[in-house]
Amino acid sequence: MATPTNAIFVPRTEKGAYNHDRPAGKLLQSQTLHLREALFQHLKELSAVLAIELSSLKTEGEVSAYVHKATALLHTHARQPTGK
Amino acid sequence: MPAGLDNLKHIVVLMMENRSFDHMLGGLSLVMENGQKKYPKINGLTGTESNPDTQGAIVRVQPNAKFQSQLDPDPDHHFPGVDLQIFGGAPRGPGRVPNMQGFVKDYFTQTNDVNRSHNVMYYFTPDKLPVLSTLATQFALFNGWFSSIPGPTICNRAFAHYGTSFGQVGMDLFYIKDPIPSIYERMVQAGHTAKIYYYDQQSSTMEIVNLLKNQPQIFGSFSQFIGDCKGGTLPEYSFVEPCYNDHPGPGGGEVLASDQHPDHNVQEGERIIAVIYNATRTNPDLWKSTALLIVYDEHGGIYDHVVPPQVTPDGYFADPGNTGTGETFNFDRLGIRVPAILVSPYIPRGTVVPGTEAGANARIFEHACIPGTVTNFFLRGDAKRTVREKNSSSFLDLLTDQMRPDSDVPFFNLGG
Repeated sequence: MATPTNAIFVPRTEKGAYNHDRPAGKLLQSQTLHLREALFQHLKELSAVLAIELSSLKTEGEVSAYVHKATALLHTHARQPTGK
Repeated sequence: MPAGLDNLKHIVVLMMENRSFDHMLGGLSLVMENGQKKYPKINGLTGTESNPDTQGAIVRVQPNAKFQSQLDPDPDHHFPGVDLQIFGGAPRGPGRVPNMQGFVKDYFTQTNDVNRSHNVMYYFTPDKLPVLSTLATQFALFNGWFSSIPGPTICNRAFAHYGTSFGQVGMDLFYIKDPIPSIYERMVQAGHTAKIYYYDQQSSTMEIVNLLKNQPQIFGSFSQFIGDCKGGTLPEYSFVEPCYNDHPGPGGGEVLASDQHPDHNVQEGERIIAVIYNATRTNPDLWKSTALLIVYDEHGGIYDHVVPPQVTPDGYFADPGNTGTGETFNFDRLGIRVPAILVSPYIPRGTVVPGTEAGANARIFEHACIPGTVTNFFLRGDAKRTVREKNSSSFLDLLTDQMRPDSDVPFFNLGG
């Protein structure tokens, strides 16, 4: 597919570019705030499921609803995929 | 309908971080060939653009941009700072005229160093950015794509997902209270496919609370994106996020930030753009059925000479406490111009979409155009959305009837 006339050379990133000790900027600090908020929301969901009294689950339908909630929290990949 | 649209099955958007049009691509206007401008339609730099510094000296644009270690501290791009950049510090009031004369002054407030404050006037020559410059000159370059808000990342990225920021002009947490679904919800609810690909879990996404929490199923990783390109399983709409931080890789390697946000290395951003381009280019079925938009979320406090135009308000407003300027913002003007390139084999080489320099023939784009275009194409416009998004321009009319042969489109050799 590539030919000498249409191949564009892309140089390697210069050495020394990596620095995980670089101070985090406002964007990354903001990202941590947003993530923490999402975790709080997640915690509320988790708390709601943990609050369910297991002895109240009498039917297969009630059990399946509980199992669904618990599994969805534990395994995000088990949630219904919507992409291809 | 042109063959390019008939064959279109996928729209991919890569949103980079914090670089202005002139900084990245303005140098293309200074390239000469046989005594004439090689790219006369591109609204880049003449070389005479300038800003005053705090000593009153005139600071011209200069081709001195470096890949890293030059824009530290990160130039201000929050609402009050951008206001100073656009209006040059003129007293606030209804008669203010934007003049793009406050970039150096604003950077001085951070550096307290007159010489370093000049760094926001530096631009890259095209040879320094072989990927972006090649794509800009080989496909469609937008002279008039602007950030949606004269402000920072989170609110600007919200426009790419929702067509609005729901009145936000900053980085604060916000929740979607109005019944305007994200483009991903719209697609999925209508039986279509859509996904946000973030780089990896250490980098994650910049649209967290509203999307990550409520719609985790729409997310994938960058390696999944590459796999989906190879395997022919790419969703109809994909939004790709670069890596936002330097972090250790699996097995002890180094993963570099590729978002090009100052002070991250610009070359690494070039490489991820090339990888994404190659991923579509090397799958023949995907190549002929994909439109790839490469766009930056906002200008990052770096100079651009084009005055941002007015825009149809979306009914939201930010009060003086939120803007930080003492004035209400009615979302009636755009932010600063950013690089934007549309790639497809159905786009003629050297296409330049006219911007504000074309007067009545200008075509103005901003990030609300992204969900707007996706909604119009895949959903025939059927979605609840803002007036602003409804009025936004679609970019798919750039696709023509004629597919360019492989020998006429570039391929990036990343072996370097």
